[in-house]
Amino acid sequence: MSEEESPAQRVAIGISFGNSYSSIAYTSGEGKAEVIANEEGDRQIPSILSYVSGEEFQGTQAKAQLVRNAKNTVAYFRDFLGQDFKSIDPTPCHHSAHPIQHESTVAFKIKDKEDDTENTVTVSEITTRHLRKLKNSASDYLGKNVNAAVITVPTNFSDAQKDALSKAAKDAGIEVLQFINEPVAAVLAYDARPEAKLADKNIVVADLGGTRSDVAVIASRGGMYSILATAHDYDVGGAQLDEVLMDYFAKEFLKKWKNGGDPRVDDRASAKLKLESEAVKKALSIGSSANFSVESLSKGFDFTCSINRMRYETISSKVFATFVRLVLNVVEKAQLDPLDISEIILAGGTAHTPRIASSLASAFPESTTVLAPSTSATAINPSELAARGAAIQASLIQEFETEDIDQSTHPMVTVTPHLARAIGVLCISSDESTGVFRHLVEAETPVPVRRTAIIATPREGGDVLVKICEGTRVIKVTKPEPKANGKAADDSDDDEDSDESDEEEELREKTYKVENVLAEAALKGLSKGAKVELQINVAADLSCTFFAREVGGKVAVRGGWKAPGKA
Amino acid sequence: MTTFQIGLPLPVLSADWSAPTESKTLTAATDRNIEPVGPHFLAHARRKRHKRTFSEDDR
Ligand SMILES: Nc1ncnc2c1ncn2[C@@H]1O[C@H](COP(=O)(O)OP(=O)(O)OP(=O)(O)O)[C@@H](O)[C@H]1O
Ligand SMILES: [Mg+2]
Repeated sequence: MSEEESPAQRVAIGISFGNSYSSIAYTSGEGKAEVIANEEGDRQIPSILSYVSGEEFQGTQAKAQLVRNAKNTVAYFRDFLGQDFKSIDPTPCHHSAHPIQHESTVAFKIKDKEDDTENTVTVSEITTRHLRKLKNSASDYLGKNVNAAVITVPTNFSDAQKDALSKAAKDAGIEVLQFINEPVAAVLAYDARPEAKLADKNIVVADLGGTRSDVAVIASRGGMYSILATAHDYDVGGAQLDEVLMDYFAKEFLKKWKNGGDPRVDDRASAKLKLESEAVKKALSIGSSANFSVESLSKGFDFTCSINRMRYETISSKVFATFVRLVLNVVEKAQLDPLDISEIILAGGTAHTPRIASSLASAFPESTTVLAPSTSATAINPSELAARGAAIQASLIQEFETEDIDQSTHPMVTVTPHLARAIGVLCISSDESTGVFRHLVEAETPVPVRRTAIIATPREGGDVLVKICEGTRVIKVTKPEPKANGKAADDSDDDEDSDESDEEEELREKTYKVENVLAEAALKGLSKGAKVELQINVAADLSCTFFAREVGGKVAVRGGWKAPGKA
Repeated sequence: MTTFQIGLPLPVLSADWSAPTESKTLTAATDRNIEPVGPHFLAHARRKRHKRTFSEDDR
C-alpha cells in the first residue's frame, strides 16, 4: 500500500502487539513516552477482532463477543503469523474462532461480511485489520496520520514471523522502522526516565503475559544492552491464573446450585466464567477482596461470590511458584548467581500480581530490586513497558533514512566482542592474594569501552601502585557457626543433622578473584589526602590504554597493553 | 558514563618495585549481539560506522 515515507513525513509510534493485548504509545515533544487510550478509553486493548453482521469490532467490545459470537471472534493470533499450521499451538483459541490450515499459512473461517457467508481470512489479514485499528486510534489521538512504528516482538520471534508482521503492517499503512525485543523495550522504558542513572548491571526482565511467559537476562553496560539468556514458557501465564479462578468459582457455583450444571462445560457459560474470572483476578491485584458476579451464569442461574486475596494466593500458589522457578532457571542458564542480578523488571499484565513480585523478592537476595507496582513506588506500569520502550526507540530513529536504520541494526555493527572477565584495580595491598579487587569494567561489557574511577589513596599520600588486573566473580559462602552444643561440622552424612543446618542461613557474598595481572604503574609523591583518577580505555581489538593522575595535582602516569596476538 | 568512586586506598608502592617487563593481554572475548536499541547504542553505531574513538566522538 503505502510507499516508505521520507523521514520528514513520518509520524511514528510504538506498538506492543501481544497475543492477549496490544498497546500504542508515542513520545511527546518533551521526550516523554505516553501510552494512548483508544476511543473506548483502553490503554490495554485486547488483540481481538469480532464481526457482527459485517460490522468490525476490536478490543474490549470484541472481547465481549466471546460469549455470544465466539465463532466470528478472532483472538490470540499473534504467534501464528509467519508460521505453518503444523507448528502452531491452537490451544488458546479454544473459546474463539479456530485456526485452520490455509495454503502455506494459518487462517480463520469467519462471517466477516454483511452477506453472512463464511470467509477464510488469513492470520496476516487479521493482523492487518487489527494494526489498522490501532493506527487509526493513534492517528485520531495525535491528530495526524500515523504511518510508521517500532513494534516489539518476543526474543524468539523468527525472521519469517518478523517478515510476516512487517508485511501485515505495511498493508495497514504502517512502515515498520524496526522490530525491537520486548524485554529490551522494557529496560529502555526504565532507562529513558529523566532520573535514571547509567550503571553497569545485570537485569532480569520477567514478561508475564496471558498465553506465555518470557524471561530474559540482560547485561546493561553504559546504556547498551546484551541478552545473556532467555526462556519461554507457553504453559504458564495469566490464562492459568484465570483457570484457577474459573475452577474455584465453578465449584462454588455448583455448591450453591446443585442443578446449575457445570459452567466449565457449556461454551457460553464458560466464556462468561472466564471473562469474569479475569476481571476478579485483576481486581485482586489492587484490593484485598473482589466480587465475582454474573447474571445467568449457567442454566439461567445468577451467581455472585466474593473471594479474598489470601484465598486466591493459596489456590494459585503452584502457578506463582512456576514463575519464580522460571526466573531462577534463566539466571542459571546465563551462568549467573542471583547475587549478580541488580534488578528484576516485571513486565506484562500478570506482573501486576503482588504475590508474584513478593515471591520473586524473597527468592532473590536483598540487593536485588524488584521493579513491580507492589514492591516499588517508582515502578512503571508493567502493562505499558513494551509500548513505551517502542515509542522511545521510534522517536530516536524516526528521522533516520531507512537505509541508515538497516545499516545500524546490521550484525556488522551489532556483533561485538564482550569481555570474558572484569577489569579492575587492586586496593589496599599489592599482593594478589590479599589485595581487594575493585572492578572498573564488568564482565560481559562490549568493547570498545571507557570507564573512569576516582580512587582513594593511603592517608599520608606518598607513592602508590596502580595494579590493573583481570578478575572473575566468585560467590563466597560462609557457613554459619556450628551451635555450641551441636555435633561436629563433618558429621554431615547424618541426614537429620544436615536438614537442621540447612535451616540456618549461610552467608553468600559476591567477591572477585584476581586471575591475571595486566599492568602496573607507579604514581609517586602524591599529596596527603590525594585522590587518583584512573581511566581505562579498552579498544575493540582488546588493546588498552590507561591513564592515572592525581586529581587536581601534577602526578600522572600512562600505560596499557597490546591486543592479543600482537607482539 | 558516570565516574565510579572507590573508597579503598591504592596500595603503597614497595621500595623494590620495578615496572614489569613482560607484556600481558586480556582473556579472549566472546562475540555477542548488542541490542540495537537506545541512545547509547546509536552513539556506538555512529562510532563504529565512522571508525571514530570515544574521544573523537566527545569533540
Ligand atoms: N492488573 C492485573 N492483575 C493481574 N493480571 C493482569 C492485570 N492486568 C492484566 N493482567 C493479565 O495479564 C495478561 C495479559 O498480559 P499482557 O498484556 O502482557 O499480554 P500479552 O503480551 O498480549 O500476552 P501473551 O502474548 O502472553 O498472550 C492477561 O492474562 C491479563 O488477565
Ligand atoms: Mg507479551
